[in-house]
Amino acid sequence: MLAGTLWLTGAYPAAAQKVAGWQEDPFPSTYRAPPQADVLIRGGIVLDGAGKRIDGGDVLVRGGKIVAVGKGLANPGVREVNAAGRWVTPGTIDVHSHNGTYVLPLTTIDNDASDVSELSSPNVADTWIETAANPQDIAFARALTNGVTTIQILPGSTPIFAGRSVIVKPIMASTIAQMKVPGAPQGFKMACGENPKSYGADDDNEGPTSREGVIAYMRNAFLDAQDYKRSWDRSRAGVGPAPARDLKREALAGILAGDIRVHVHCYRANDMAAVLAIAREFGFRIASFQHAVEAYKMPEMLRETGTCAAVWSDWWGFKMEALDAVRANAPLLQRAGACVTMHSDSPSDGQRLTVNAAEAAGAARRIGIDIPPEEMIRWTTSNAAKLLGLEKRVGTIAPGFEADIVLWSGSPFSIYTKADLVMIGGGVAYDRSRPETQPVSDFEIGRKAMQP
Amino acid sequence: MKALAFLIALGAAAPASAQNLAVIHAEAWTLAGPEPVHDATILVGDGRIVSIVPRGGVPAGATVIDARGKPVTAGLVNAATQLGLVEVSSAADTVDQASRDSAGGPFDLSMALNGNSTLVDLARADGVTRAVIYPNPSRAGPLSGEVATARLREGADIVDRANVAVFASIGGGEWDSIGSRGRQWQTLRKMLSEARKQPDAPQNSRRRGKDRSEGSPRGPQSEEPIRAVAAGRIPLAIATHRETDIRQAIALARELGIKVIILGGAEAWRAANALAAAKIPVILDPQNNLPGTFDQLGARRDNAAILFKAGVPTAFGLVGGPIHMSYNAGMALRGGAGIAVANGLPYADALRAITVNPLAIWGVGGGGLAPGGDGDLVVWDGDPLEPSANALAVIVEGKQVSTQTRQDLLAQRYAKVRP
Repeated sequence: MLAGTLWLTGAYPAAAQKVAGWQEDPFPSTYRAPPQADVLIRGGIVLDGAGKRIDGGDVLVRGGKIVAVGKGLANPGVREVNAAGRWVTPGTIDVHSHNGTYVLPLTTIDNDASDVSELSSPNVADTWIETAANPQDIAFARALTNGVTTIQILPGSTPIFAGRSVIVKPIMASTIAQMKVPGAPQGFKMACGENPKSYGADDDNEGPTSREGVIAYMRNAFLDAQDYKRSWDRSRAGVGPAPARDLKREALAGILAGDIRVHVHCYRANDMAAVLAIAREFGFRIASFQHAVEAYKMPEMLRETGTCAAVWSDWWGFKMEALDAVRANAPLLQRAGACVTMHSDSPSDGQRLTVNAAEAAGAARRIGIDIPPEEMIRWTTSNAAKLLGLEKRVGTIAPGFEADIVLWSGSPFSIYTKADLVMIGGGVAYDRSRPETQPVSDFEIGRKAMQP
Repeated sequence: MKALAFLIALGAAAPASAQNLAVIHAEAWTLAGPEPVHDATILVGDGRIVSIVPRGGVPAGATVIDARGKPVTAGLVNAATQLGLVEVSSAADTVDQASRDSAGGPFDLSMALNGNSTLVDLARADGVTRAVIYPNPSRAGPLSGEVATARLREGADIVDRANVAVFASIGGGEWDSIGSRGRQWQTLRKMLSEARKQPDAPQNSRRRGKDRSEGSPRGPQSEEPIRAVAAGRIPLAIATHRETDIRQAIALARELGIKVIILGGAEAWRAANALAAAKIPVILDPQNNLPGTFDQLGARRDNAAILFKAGVPTAFGLVGGPIHMSYNAGMALRGGAGIAVANGLPYADALRAITVNPLAIWGVGGGGLAPGGDGDLVVWDGDPLEPSANALAVIVEGKQVSTQTRQDLLAQRYAKVRP
């Protein structure tokens, strides 16, 4: 909980520093969950997110946590919600969003200088996307009212080392810190393939101009970070002074130390294999490949390294490295035993990740693979939590988990279904039957074109 | 899965030149009423629908497709896409949506349509049998190209009709060389007024409705398309979103007596009654509930429901923006229609918005699942508006076409490698 606040540099002598620079959180969370609303959700079709389905199942929420799941639970005296004919799942987790930085409406100002990526160098490892994200982006509200309870905001994929991600709850707030999930592992974005090489190939920019150049750039940077990390290791062992702070090097050193989870934007199988080889060479783990359109060609490698693939159901063809995308990517990975999640990369797709999962499953049926709903739901819940390192806190409906729960009007895999009730941390974040819970961003206020 | 295998086997057995085809045990969405015809036998002959009869008989020699009680709809029609013009959107040498020659008048995109595109295979497999293809806006002037319709038969030639309409765009940031939308409207108005003053083209040179298979090569571009618009023979499709621009378009149509179609129309719901009174149709993206630009602040998901209720002829296209509208011209269209239903549009109206309405709005006609109608129909394995559903059989011009895509083949290839 709020680890960073305890680790402020000033609390320790400059020599023999125990806490490395990368372990600090200079932008600590000030999040407060919505007011707790203990509830017994009664008699729904419960998909627990981890592979179990309970028809006519109950979920008891008390004190912000899930207390019990099963049939015929006794009501200890809390509000009861009749879920007959409705479905209950963990809240949807979107592991790839640019909400807050790709803020709609876009204008020429965004075209000239966007907050999605810092573009001064292919290595902007010192950036933290939470210092840019605008909490008044209406995309947060659209996500919430469609059942999303956790969002990872990633920096863009133009730089090779793109900076820190942030994990937020899509609640109305004035600052991102008020949305930031406390105690979540730090995440970091890297990119390979067409985006960084195209950036480097532009005459005005520094950076490699080819796939091989991008991979070499990564290795050189990690070699350099290895040296830097050794200085920190000596200092933390009490055999030397702490090295001078260097925000770019320490982010990479944190990756090498296993303290920062890496999410790498890659499309092709060979790009992902090259990045996995770097991870092996330098002794760290890749938490996820983002987009991973060719992951279905190499599921064993992902399974063996414990790397998740965050995929679309239906984005394809818009660039050369996306030509071999297949809608059945997720089902093929699931069948091969790899960790796979849906992801949006867009405020539009971010409103229907469960329907995207259904679309992927539908494509798998064309080639004789059937995925039942209790398995499909993993792609937007427990697997996504695993990708973020939050698998013990959210993404599963089980005792002890944070009560991020969605009560759906029907199957979450149907285009007609709506999120009736969205709970975050055991509080009501959105209740479709109560218009006063409809989030309205500051941007919408007083704009006549947006009012009926 | 069994049903799919069965149908694929059937398709393989059917002679390519089959004249007669029967779909039996169909839940036939004729749209004659709000409910389908159950256990229907649909007979197709000589490329057209002959009859739709509950438990009807099957003539000897007809190729039979057993729908097993599943839904059958008319072939879907995407009312606005760039299918056939796009292969890899970020690779400029693989796309044909835009002309950089601003002096030559609206360009004829029908000559660029490519039926061998992998995007076309996927759209067909998702149940699209026709599509209306529009060009990119020109940054230099009001008019950029002509609109064409495609028929997704197998083979390279998917052109249905060229010169269906002329395309213009109005809005913030459009037409870099002109600036303010005040000047944009003035320029458009002036062009149309001048075109009206010119002597009308002789009747026999009108290209409206000319099928390219008739073999008449298109000559160099002239002023003719804009004259056809000015004379009210073909519509002017105006891509625009903001309420004020939609009201300007209504005024333009009234003053010049021309036919106008609104393309986009994120704020069309704000002018629903005026559009209905002027009989100006709207082609919209039912997914759109985000203010992508300041022109689209009013984007909302009950746009379609409001327009239908007001009596505005409405169809769906442009669905999912640049990422989806051509790459998933079928899937996004179906899911978009489903979203419209989830936001208040009656189901039968949603089907109309992706079958008969697009063809009526663009002045082509046809497309319904009715006796005498085009022989374009789709057998589904579930509700076609659910993205999880698959088309089991797609029939274009009376012939069953392949629903196998490059994606299927890739998925199959890598599904086989491992246990």
